[in-house]
Parts: sequence; structure tokens; C-alpha cells
Amino acid sequence: MSEQQDELIQRVVEELRRPVALDSSLDERVMARIRNEPVRLPEPRRWLLRPFTLRLSPLGALAAAAGFAALVAATTLAVVRSGWLAGVPGSAGATPGVAAVPFVLYAPDAHSVSVVGDFNDWDAAATPLKPAGPSGTWVVTVPLAPGRYRYAFVIDGTRWVPDPGAPLAPADDFGTPNSVLTVGS
Amino acid sequence: MSDAAVVRRVLSGDVEAYAVLVARYRDRLGRYAFHQLGNREDAEEAVQEAFVRAYRALDRCHSPERFGAWLFQILVNRCRTIGGRRGRRERFAVADEDALNDARVEHPADRLALGDAIRWALDQLPYEQREAFLLKHVEDLSYEQMAEITGAGISALKMRVKRACDSLRQLLAEVESV
Repeated sequence: MSEQQDELIQRVVEELRRPVALDSSLDERVMARIRNEPVRLPEPRRWLLRPFTLRLSPLGALAAAAGFAALVAATTLAVVRSGWLAGVPGSAGATPGVAAVPFVLYAPDAHSVSVVGDFNDWDAAATPLKPAGPSGTWVVTVPLAPGRYRYAFVIDGTRWVPDPGAPLAPADDFGTPNSVLTVGS
Repeated sequence: MSDAAVVRRVLSGDVEAYAVLVARYRDRLGRYAFHQLGNREDAEEAVQEAFVRAYRALDRCHSPERFGAWLFQILVNRCRTIGGRRGRRERFAVADEDALNDARVEHPADRLALGDAIRWALDQLPYEQREAFLLKHVEDLSYEQMAEITGAGISALKMRVKRACDSLRQLLAEVESV
């Protein structure tokens, strides 16, 4: 790439960074549309009371490997016993109907992985995954009451990715795609 | 007042406080939408919809201190929707021979203005390349931020930016040589 070419791209960028005038009434049009809509408050955690009908695992294709499932089960047991989970109410095994749901992601280049979802208020610090050996696989088990949950993984604190082994939640324009799982009795 | 403080006020019922966020972000959103969509009418529609949708989903803005990034993500999605709709309209028009003759784009060499030539060249890029170029070079985002917003991988984004730069150089060189 020559200096002349770099200069050309720089000129393009400078031109495109100039302010673009929008209609001055845009602000008022936005406010007029929202004034009649009461703001929706954060939803309380009503999921503890929801009825359940179906049981699915979020592992999907990744969990298909039987040997790997054994590893997940062992890690799960250790995690639940140590009380390591943060930000997730309840404790698997102690509450009737609560299932210990393993979340697994293969991310060999990641420095950290966490799972965020309806069950932990989408808090990236609440439920970190731990490396399951040197293979690049990360795992955590979360005790979940029956219900339907949207969730995603957060890699290195910034990159949100859906679970490659689980169905995607319907697109909603409000972020990167999420996955969905349903926990039943 | 910080974005997080404004978001908390709105969530506590002070709807009018949202006007602070609209005023704060309208210009940046408008610039991106205008360059991505290529016309003011679509850009204003995208910006307005982004603000309204963000308000309706404000309870799902889990990091209010990053409201701006979250809002921008919504705008990028709205632009994709509107851009796709516009693309379909254009393809339908091109299917009609009369419309094809009417749809010829004026060559920028006839107009001389650098800004027009740049916007013409930008409009020739495939949608995803234009999106990646604007996010990287005009909005000055990192590839990690771009990946978060677009859902695309970092390698793919780097490739789109490189191809966009190559295409822009070629297109603008053609303009200068006319």
C-alpha cells in the first residue's frame, strides 16, 4: 500500500466524518412517539413460578460426544458442591424441580468465557465458565428452575456469541443472536 | 449527566429525560445511517426507529453506562433491515428495462465535487463491506467492538474492511482518470 493510497483513504474518512444534518424535527418526532408509551420496568424474576412442560439441554451437538459428557458431569458435580456459582438463585439438588444445566463452549483462543441470560440478569460477571482441561473447552453448570431461557456466551468480556449447539432465539433487533433452552421437570 | 444516570431516570418514569439521550446521539447515528443507506429519508427513518426501539427495550439495556454502544447496535440492525428493503426495491426496478434506463447513476466525473465522488464510490460497495468500512474508519471502532455489534468474526471483518479500501481506491482512481 503506497503513501498516496493511504492518503486517499484518509481523505475519504475525513469527508465521511463531516456532520450530516438531519431534519430538526426528528427529536420531537421520537419524543412524541414514546410519550404515550409507559416505560417497561425490568421484569421481576417470575420464572421461578412458571409451569414447565419440556426438557431440553443447551449442549446440542457439542455435548453429543459421550466422553465429553462425562467430563461435564464431573465438573458439574464439583461446581455445585463448592457453591462456586454466583448470581444464580437456588441450588441444584436442594430445591425440588431445579435442574443442573451444563453450559459448554469450545473457545480455544479465549482468555475468559461467561454465560449470560435471563437466569442471571444478563450479567457477564455473574456466571463464569472454567476451562475443562487444556482442550479449549469451557464449562459451567447452572441450577435452573423449569422455564424457558434466552442466553449467550461472552468471550473475553466483549464478544457475545450464541451457543453453537442450541437453537437461536427469534431475532429481535436488540443485540447479537441469543440461544434458547427450555428446562422442564 | 451520564448515560447511565439518564437511563435510570427514564426507567424510574421520567420519560422526558430520554430527550437528553436523543439529542446526545442523533448526530452520530444520523451520520452512520446516511452513509450506510445513501439517502436522508431512509437514514431518518432508521434513526427514529432505533431511538423508539431502544426506549421500548430500555429494561433490557443491562449496562446503562454503555447505552451508546447498545443503541448503535440497534441502529446497525435497523439499517440492515431498511437497506435490505431498499435493495429489493432496486432489484425489482432493474428487472424492468424501462426502469433500468431511468436508473442509470450519474457519473461522478460530471459533478467534480470530491464529496459526491466519495459517496458515489461508497454506494458501489457491497452492503457488508460498506458497513465494516464505516464502523472501522468513520466510527473508529475496534474490531472487537465491531464483532460485538455485527455478530461477524474478526477475520471476516478485517477482510471486509480491506476489500472496501481496495474497492474505494480503485473506484476513486477511475473517477480521477476520467
